Amino acid sequence: MREVAHLTVKRRIAVLFLGAAAAVLFLWLRLIYLQVFLNPSLTGYALDHRLRPIMVDARRGTIYDRHSQELAVSVSADAVYAVPAEVKNPQETAAVLSKILDLEYGQVLARLTKRSAAEWIKKRLTPEEARAIREAALPGIGLVENPQRFYPNGTLAAQVLGIAGIDNQGLEGLEYQYDRYLRGIPGRVMAERDAAGREIPGGLRQYVPPREGYDLVLTIDRVIQYVAERELRRAMTETKARKGVLIVMDPRTGEILALANEPSYDPNRYNDFPVENRRNYAVTDLYEPGSTFKVITAAAALEERLVTPGRRFYDPGYIVVGGRRIRCWKAGGHGSQNFVEATENSCNVAFATLGLELGGERFYKYIKAFGFGEKTGLDFPGEAVGQVHPPDKMTTVGWANIGFGQGISVTPLQLLTALSAVANDGLLMRPYLVREIRERSGKVIERREPQPLRQVISREAARELRRILRSVVVNGSGRRAEVPGYRAAGKTGTAQIAEGGIYSRTKVVASFAGFAPFDEPVVAILVALYEPQTPVTYGGVLAAPVFQAVLGDVMAYLKVPPRLETPPPPGRGPHGEELAVVPNARSLFRAEAEQVVTKAKLRFRFTGHGQVVIDQTPKPGAQVPVGTLVLLHTADEGTLGEDIVP
Amino acid sequence: MLDRRLVKSFDFPLLGVTLALLLLGLLVVYSATQARDLELYGDRFYHLLRQALAAGIGLLALAAVVNVDYGLFERLARPLYLCNLALLVLVLVVGKTVSHSQSWLHLGALGSFQPSELAKILVILTLAKQLQEGEDRPNFTQFLLALVHVGIPMILILLQPDLGTAMVFVGILFGMLFVYGIPNRYLLGAILLAVVLSPFLYFFVLADYQRARLMVLINPYSDPVKSGYNVIQSMIAIGSGRLFGKGLFSGTQTQLNFVPEHHTDFIFSVVGEEFGFLGGLFLLGAYFFILWRGLQIIELARDEYGQLVAAGVVSMLLFHVLINVGMTLGIMPVTGIPLPLISYGGSSLIANLVGIGLLLNIYLRRQKIIF
Repeated sequence: MREVAHLTVKRRIAVLFLGAAAAVLFLWLRLIYLQVFLNPSLTGYALDHRLRPIMVDARRGTIYDRHSQELAVSVSADAVYAVPAEVKNPQETAAVLSKILDLEYGQVLARLTKRSAAEWIKKRLTPEEARAIREAALPGIGLVENPQRFYPNGTLAAQVLGIAGIDNQGLEGLEYQYDRYLRGIPGRVMAERDAAGREIPGGLRQYVPPREGYDLVLTIDRVIQYVAERELRRAMTETKARKGVLIVMDPRTGEILALANEPSYDPNRYNDFPVENRRNYAVTDLYEPGSTFKVITAAAALEERLVTPGRRFYDPGYIVVGGRRIRCWKAGGHGSQNFVEATENSCNVAFATLGLELGGERFYKYIKAFGFGEKTGLDFPGEAVGQVHPPDKMTTVGWANIGFGQGISVTPLQLLTALSAVANDGLLMRPYLVREIRERSGKVIERREPQPLRQVISREAARELRRILRSVVVNGSGRRAEVPGYRAAGKTGTAQIAEGGIYSRTKVVASFAGFAPFDEPVVAILVALYEPQTPVTYGGVLAAPVFQAVLGDVMAYLKVPPRLETPPPPGRGPHGEELAVVPNARSLFRAEAEQVVTKAKLRFRFTGHGQVVIDQTPKPGAQVPVGTLVLLHTADEGTLGEDIVP
Repeated sequence: MLDRRLVKSFDFPLLGVTLALLLLGLLVVYSATQARDLELYGDRFYHLLRQALAAGIGLLALAAVVNVDYGLFERLARPLYLCNLALLVLVLVVGKTVSHSQSWLHLGALGSFQPSELAKILVILTLAKQLQEGEDRPNFTQFLLALVHVGIPMILILLQPDLGTAMVFVGILFGMLFVYGIPNRYLLGAILLAVVLSPFLYFFVLADYQRARLMVLINPYSDPVKSGYNVIQSMIAIGSGRLFGKGLFSGTQTQLNFVPEHHTDFIFSVVGEEFGFLGGLFLLGAYFFILWRGLQIIELARDEYGQLVAAGVVSMLLFHVLINVGMTLGIMPVTGIPLPLISYGGSSLIANLVGIGLLLNIYLRRQKIIF
């Protein structure tokens, strides 16, 4: 033996030992990884390989409105499948099938000769097709009932419901959001097979029935939804708006009673409509709210005691902030006015002032508290968040702009949710669409209760604000929203659409957001018409009437008893002369204003060159001697934008 | 005959573990083949009987090998080497082709025989002699001679073609040279050369299917129904075995033949599926025990020839286990080399038992004094 090598050999044996130990350890670790960590997925693979089941779709759950009226149902339809291994003569079979089912021969043949356990040939057969297939009795070809989705009301609540695809899977909307409840568990026809695809004699062979999907009961009321869609559609036709949104919410609970988007589509044949019609703009898209946002500014200012109804503002027609001149929408300004009047006038200068007085920190806090800049938490896919810049990213002028609703982007749903908080004594509720998830038998799986999020402003501030918003309808630009007896309150909005950083002169969103009755609100409604093509585009003129029509029908449907306010009869003047109450002529066209004023036994004179009355002297509600002259100021569009002060 | 005194110094633990593995192997082979055998041959014991027969022959061979002093092989090295080459040439001329490789010699009623399996043992026995005859200090000439010595049978096997078995010779060569004390720089140099040449080998020498096997090692799902199929099915089988396994005859992947070659090269997947993690742990533990004993035997051997032979056997077993089990676990490329003592296949079983017999022999005769 070579002496030299002896020590080396010992050392090398030790190295070999370590090598062997490392190799075995390595294999052990891999074994642990496969059998312990990867196990669940691999066990599933093993079963799938063996069973190769033919799936039978479960009946998809029904979607009901809040009164158990069907909105989406599953109806059964025959589907034809092939078991390629059992098809005797593929060419002949393909020829027969393609003839009966009106399919392409090559395509059918490809499926018949595919190496798989089972292939769908066609779903949703007509009864005639199904009968022909049954009579042809082709080996390896079978029929199963496969449920298909049907929306009995057509376009009703289409964007809310969304669509389910041909394979029983939710693709959009609530169908998508609640797919895991609606879908159920597919059943299977199982035959255990070996690697070569042969059935194993005595192996597992069974039919596992599908577990039906759960039903959904929505907060949507089919009747209110219908009214909302009808009125929105009418407004769309009249104004030729590009699109429109209408939401009806119960402010006490956050339940969405109706949610309409126009133009709409029929989910039964969704492929025939443009894809954008399927969007639920009310939830997924942002806009600048404009004057409707003044409600939020007012709420913050009232809560912070920066303002009382009597506080006076002077509007010379503009306000200079940080070297920029922000103009009021009314040329020449609103002059001297108290806070209630400033709200009725929708005076930008007054609200810009409040925005500045609140200041970034405080204003931002309230904006966030009202739920802007975050999802409302609606149970709907793809909700937009909106853009609210924190104080450190904003200039002073920015807060002045937000004061009257410019420079902030929100979803229509966010705005209505925030307004509902005012209607609900300052308590912000989380909006929701599904009340109940239940089994077909009626057994409730899950019930959604109203979910209060936070007290945003005090009860007192909320009530004060509601009285002011009531005044907007009685005496201000919201005149056309009034439904006698239901005492609506709200705020108009005419927001310019920003295009490439510049506010468009012609493209606006005309909107109205309100609730009723103002002292005890049961519904809150938002109407927004995007890009109306009419000469006059004021929210008070275009959107308020839609609100009015919906409100009237909804209140009657909900059996809310009307309470007529009989105005006090005009008394006598100090000299015994007969007095008249000045009517509200704002947001009325010339002819209408003429009629209203004449009826009140007053004379009138128009100033300005517009078609619509935007201001009047004396103010509505004043008692003046009969025959007094009422000056009606007309204009068709506001002055826009801001100038840089030289 | 074995001397009484010898019995006392016999390595019973090594033999015991070997027999245990042998039995486990028969059991697993039976489990893996019985269902299909019944279907194909009408005899559920078809493979089992053949494997049991081979085990019997192998044990006889083991006994025979233990019986003679291994010095005999040292003396017969030259004829053994020539005999080896002759068999390998013969198989290329008159061999039977199975699965694209001409590796089998038909022996009439006795069945078939795979000379390349025996070649591993013969190369160990003859290379040990050649190295042992060398000069005092291992040098480059010896290194080259060893390469040639192993290279010739290796090339003959590559011609069959049987890349997997040929690679085993590389493992044996490296293991023996390492124990022999060849300077590390030669071994590292060879490895470096292989790395440098690997792109050339990959593109010009390997067949398409071999390239595909390397690719599926990186991602078996790149070709799940062809090259990756075995590995995926094997991993599924093993992974679905969990801690205790599904029980003998109850491995669904196995019993339904989802893992091809599961009684031969992929038999570890049967162990993994039917006996679970504990079964795999036990099996690898048993191999580790054998390797550990083997390494001790290298150290205890009475002479350098014995050391080198033991080193060759240990290297061969280690290489087989690492590559074969690694392959079924998806971390080594698919090469058709069997799992020692477990895989179905008589030639391999006999060769491995002879290898164990050599270890036992070297242990038995560790002290010259005994004689």
